[in-house]
Amino acid sequence: MTKSKSSGGFKFRRPGFQTSRKINAYVLLIPFLAGFFLFFAVPIYNLIVFSLSRVEVAEEGGMMLTFVGFENFVDLFMVEVSTANQQFLRVFADENMRIFMNAPIMVIFSLFAALLVNVKFRGRGFVRVIFFLPIVTGLPIVQSLLTVTTGADIMDASIADTFITTTIMSFLISYTFLPIALISFIATVAGEIFFLISNVGVQTLIFLAGLQSINPSLYEVAKIEGANEYETFWKITLPMLTNVIVFVIVYSFVDLFLDSPLANEVYAYGFLRNNIGMGASLSLIYMINVVLGLLVLLYAFRKVAGKHDS
Amino acid sequence: MIRKAKTKTSSGTSAKVTVARMRRERLIHGTMDGYYLKNQAKSIVGNILFYSLVVGLSFAILYPLIRVLPVVFSEFRYLNDPDVIWVPIQFSMLSFRAAIRVGFGNFTNMGLTLVYAAVIAIVQIVISAMAGYSLGRVKFPGQTMVMIFVFMVIIVPPPALLIPQFLRFAQFEVLGIVGLFNNGQPLNLLNNQATLFILSFTGFGVKQAIFIFIFRQFFKGLPLELEEAALIDGCGFYKTFVRIAFPMAVPAIVTVFALAFVWNYGDTYLTGYFHPDGPYLANSLDLLFQYQNMEHLNNFIVRIYNLPFSTSFMFDAIKHAAALVYLAPLLLMYFISQRRIVENFERAGIVG
Repeated sequence: MTKSKSSGGFKFRRPGFQTSRKINAYVLLIPFLAGFFLFFAVPIYNLIVFSLSRVEVAEEGGMMLTFVGFENFVDLFMVEVSTANQQFLRVFADENMRIFMNAPIMVIFSLFAALLVNVKFRGRGFVRVIFFLPIVTGLPIVQSLLTVTTGADIMDASIADTFITTTIMSFLISYTFLPIALISFIATVAGEIFFLISNVGVQTLIFLAGLQSINPSLYEVAKIEGANEYETFWKITLPMLTNVIVFVIVYSFVDLFLDSPLANEVYAYGFLRNNIGMGASLSLIYMINVVLGLLVLLYAFRKVAGKHDS
Repeated sequence: MIRKAKTKTSSGTSAKVTVARMRRERLIHGTMDGYYLKNQAKSIVGNILFYSLVVGLSFAILYPLIRVLPVVFSEFRYLNDPDVIWVPIQFSMLSFRAAIRVGFGNFTNMGLTLVYAAVIAIVQIVISAMAGYSLGRVKFPGQTMVMIFVFMVIIVPPPALLIPQFLRFAQFEVLGIVGLFNNGQPLNLLNNQATLFILSFTGFGVKQAIFIFIFRQFFKGLPLELEEAALIDGCGFYKTFVRIAFPMAVPAIVTVFALAFVWNYGDTYLTGYFHPDGPYLANSLDLLFQYQNMEHLNNFIVRIYNLPFSTSFMFDAIKHAAALVYLAPLLLMYFISQRRIVENFERAGIVG
């Protein structure tokens, strides 16, 4: 490509510097683009085709598609039930509730953890090691191996979850005047603290990297101008972290959807119940749900961030 | 007047500076006046609050690991004793021996999984660095489009694409090339390790789009002069990438390697669906310690170790012990290299 050659009276000109650079950039991207085409673009097209048809095994082998329109989508919500015998509307509603509640808490919690390990104090190195431990111990397989499966969870729950929740609830009810709905929300979050902590390792890491990339002279200027640490946090740290927060929202949201039971439902339809059309329509709805939910979350974040700026 | 100015500057400084200032002020004023006492009290209370927060959160992070310790080190027959909370009545390593016996064998699986995770991580690094370099350093038509592709891959959860991907690997064919080597027939790549390598060679390994994004961000932040200098000294595009840019990306490489290694070691999705019979530890442990297997596994343990009876607590103890053995190599590596890893995490500039 970079070598000029002439043959048969037809002259190739050596491409210019910028052109060859662009071509080389495409060459480096070939693996990813090939993968995108093979394992992303075509599969999405296939999903759409499957979801609009009844998929059967043809007599001479291979698949036979019969176009049925939106029958699969209608059946999915009106007729079919999940492996846990729940209607899919219910499954989706539950999942979205759980994820919309947990994602913002995870973002705030990881930001808090990152701020904590970013402060200079004695024993910081040791604390950092512990705070990044969830990257290792938060693996889904480790989590499932560490949960208590059997009769023991009566005993364990009394120590871990209910104990904390009931004490917190009784404390809040007797000493504060918060509405009951808010108190029960706090109690639920407190009960899930171990789940949250074990899932925010990477987010804390991203926030810490973001905090380190903020120019320290900004803080110096603020200090000279007489801002206190509270003001510095709202006026410098948070605005400088906007992009990082967006990335962490995306990461947490997608991560929460990844280990939702919907993934197993897709598998069950595709390969256990032999209903590929239904599985495809479920996958499509799952995908659309993730994208729409993310857009809503980011829109809400933009609103909040925008309000704070003005 | 002077006092007022001092109050203003002293608020919101780190503990060390505050202490130095307090010493100086004590020298100036001779005695401990109210101002000095107030500052002292403030710093002590602040420190107590701060350290209790840090210690509390650290405990909460470690709690799931600490909690299983009395269970795994206890003799089986004392497991359901409600009086035992933290210190086992009789110390025993039987749950570890049982876990190794049923789940790990002679540790070939663990060795193979570690090698697999390391190799896949290296493949992921190379492919992601290539894509990240051209996305971060070169301006070319369609760049925004490719970035949007990367974000789409990050956002869409892989299970949603499981069915078509599965069918594709059942009859693998790319533009008729595969057929040329296989008598015109598409290849069945299901339950084949090649599938996992194909996926990571094309940027679709475990969370690989995020790695592409990390590398892109890192390369974007490198100074332009480096490439210009390399160009003047006669380095071509690829030489600049291999000799200059890639070696400079050590923070990003370390970060991505750590994450990719851990995630591939613990991956049950890709290995479970595309190579279920493979020697992957996470997958086999996941299947072994299913709830349905409890009865079976307990009977086996009772017979092997001549125990009087089996309880469901025993199953949990063995499961937790397996989790600890499974985590051991990761924890070991993490504690050995933690300082370097955490430093590089900070400098990788994941989002700039």
